Amino acid sequence: MKKLMLLNAVSAIALTATMFGVSPGFAADKVTLTYLADSNWVKAPEKELAKKFEEQTGIAIDFQIVPSDQYTNVLKTKLNSGEATDIFGGQSGVTDLTLNYNVEKNAVDLSGEAWAKQEDPLVAAQSTVNGKLYGLTYWDTLGYVWVVNYNKATFKKFGLEPPKTYAEFKALCQKLKDGGVQPLYEPISDGWHHVLWFPELGPRYEQASPGLADKLNTNKEKFADDKTMLTDLTELKEMFDLGFFGENALSDTFADRTKAMSDGKIAMFMAQSAFPQDLHKDYPNISADDFGAFVMPLADNQLLNINPAGPTHFIYSGSKHVAEAKQYLDFLTKPENLQTYLDGEPQFFTLPFPGVKAKFSPDLQAFMDAHKDARGVVYQTQINYVNSQWMDIGKDITAMFTGAQTPEDVLKNLDKRRADFADAAKDPAWNK
Amino acid sequence: MQLNARYPQLFTWPALVLYTAFFILPSLGGIVYAFTDWSSYSDEVNFVGLKNFRKLFSVDENYFAYFWNTFIFTGVTIVLKTVFGLALALLLDKGVKSFVNFYRALIYVPVVLPMLVVGLIFRSILHPSHGLLNVTLRAVGLDVLTQHWLTDPHLALFSVMVIDTWKGVGYIMVILLAGLQTIPKEYYEAAEVDGAGALARFRFITLPMLMPAIMVVTVLNVLYGLRVFDIVYATTNGGPGYASEVAQTGIFKAFSEGQYGLGTALSSVLFVILLFVGYGVIRLLERPPARV
Repeated sequence: MKKLMLLNAVSAIALTATMFGVSPGFAADKVTLTYLADSNWVKAPEKELAKKFEEQTGIAIDFQIVPSDQYTNVLKTKLNSGEATDIFGGQSGVTDLTLNYNVEKNAVDLSGEAWAKQEDPLVAAQSTVNGKLYGLTYWDTLGYVWVVNYNKATFKKFGLEPPKTYAEFKALCQKLKDGGVQPLYEPISDGWHHVLWFPELGPRYEQASPGLADKLNTNKEKFADDKTMLTDLTELKEMFDLGFFGENALSDTFADRTKAMSDGKIAMFMAQSAFPQDLHKDYPNISADDFGAFVMPLADNQLLNINPAGPTHFIYSGSKHVAEAKQYLDFLTKPENLQTYLDGEPQFFTLPFPGVKAKFSPDLQAFMDAHKDARGVVYQTQINYVNSQWMDIGKDITAMFTGAQTPEDVLKNLDKRRADFADAAKDPAWNK
Repeated sequence: MQLNARYPQLFTWPALVLYTAFFILPSLGGIVYAFTDWSSYSDEVNFVGLKNFRKLFSVDENYFAYFWNTFIFTGVTIVLKTVFGLALALLLDKGVKSFVNFYRALIYVPVVLPMLVVGLIFRSILHPSHGLLNVTLRAVGLDVLTQHWLTDPHLALFSVMVIDTWKGVGYIMVILLAGLQTIPKEYYEAAEVDGAGALARFRFITLPMLMPAIMVVTVLNVLYGLRVFDIVYATTNGGPGYASEVAQTGIFKAFSEGQYGLGTALSSVLFVILLFVGYGVIRLLERPPARV
């Protein structure tokens, strides 16, 4: 009887040890890292790299993909119940990092990793809290910038050059309008696109008032007090009033953008830098080289607006395989693997690591190079409680266009909603 | 006898328990949350008294306009749906002689269309440059009547009301038609013998006899109008700006922003309004007719 009990106990210990990955002498060394991610975040080349990683190390990656609309809830539930996967995906950015993922509690500090020193500083800053880096942003966050794409042929016909100031931009738009060409396509109907004209100019606001982002985040300054922001909104309103967005801007949709820009009747569209490629895909007779780009010149802006936040890999602090997970991130960031990842993903132009061969067109490469030292971070990423009220800002700006609100009202409402969010989040900067 | 008297009461218990567990308690729970700072940004839920309600009734906020729009929407759609529904019901009851069932089905079709589909169709029809309505108006030389139907802040809510009437009138017509068909023909024959004209017959026979049906459609329309959401969301999403926001779009927005406490406060206010208005309408329409 005693023998039987002893045998049972030994079997139970062996079974438990195997289940929890503890390797008794006779079991094979096999670790499987679980990775929870939004369905849009795991690209095919990463799956290929994961297979290669398994071949080299014997560590398998189990991708647990969740539909986008449910992802944040699923992740938060897992984090709150202490049952998160070894690696979890998340959107970087100051607000998300602390409010949604609480990385200081839930993620492993990766500051000491070799790749951490290589990552673009603007991008790394978005995964950093109190000086510690918590995530690897494995995404093209630098190649996709919102710029004003212009039809080169139309500009040439009217003898126009990319503007450097708002006054030049306004004069250029007026000239186009007088010549029977709609200056800009602005799909206000969707409620989000026209908002970009405002927070994307974060670098300009910061340039005009250094340290503004910190003051806004610590509640020492209000949006309503900033003159450059007021200038931006006032000029945006003026553009609408002067008819530069066309008669039907309030009904125009983002989905119709390529159609709208295909026949040369509209000269410019503020879109991501990849827009000419999209246009070429839908209308093969139009070459991507037919379009040029310049930065949004409202408030005399000449800085490139970078949104360095993007899908990021975090290692769960409660994981039993932290070392293996770090090994996986290290593998992903080896130069040859970065290049494989970039080359295999048609949507990406570049990655936030030095040495990768970017896929920009010569024009776009020249544009990026020209702004290499004249760039900054957009405000929806840099300032707390802005991104979460994006659609509300959209409604306010639309109300400003229709005359129901003034530019000052838009800024005041933004401050008011920020206070509400901060209050809900019990932010100490607002609840002194 | 006593046993007999107890049976009905006993039989109500299972239903009452289920109703209390799944309807009453969650509703009361919702009202309790209206007094808290429950949000998606914090794990804590604290009692904050009337803070959410103070915000709702603050002049700095837009919520008054949301409720005003809701009342306008309710009032106008009640009138439009009842008037057009009654006219169509009368037409299909006595006016049209052939293909009656075909017409009835045709008028009812919009009712069964999903609201989002209706929204998409009308967004296309009412587009200012290439929408069917403006294109038709231009084709017949009525350019002066072309409008930005869904994007003009003065017109948007009215356009939504018309779309909603188009969609809902078939349902109202069916109820009124059923009411019309219960009126005995003898009344009309007797009135005709007495020399009553069409208007007099309508006023003194049809309308009074149809009152119960009109009461039903009014209550339904009031409750629907005050709770309207989908048609506004699908056509204007409350815009341009806040021009066509209604109470339910405000609730939706509060919840989608993670401000659950505020959202429940807003829905609690709407619940109280619905309770009073619904009760008031029923009492008003249930008044016994004055005898002449």
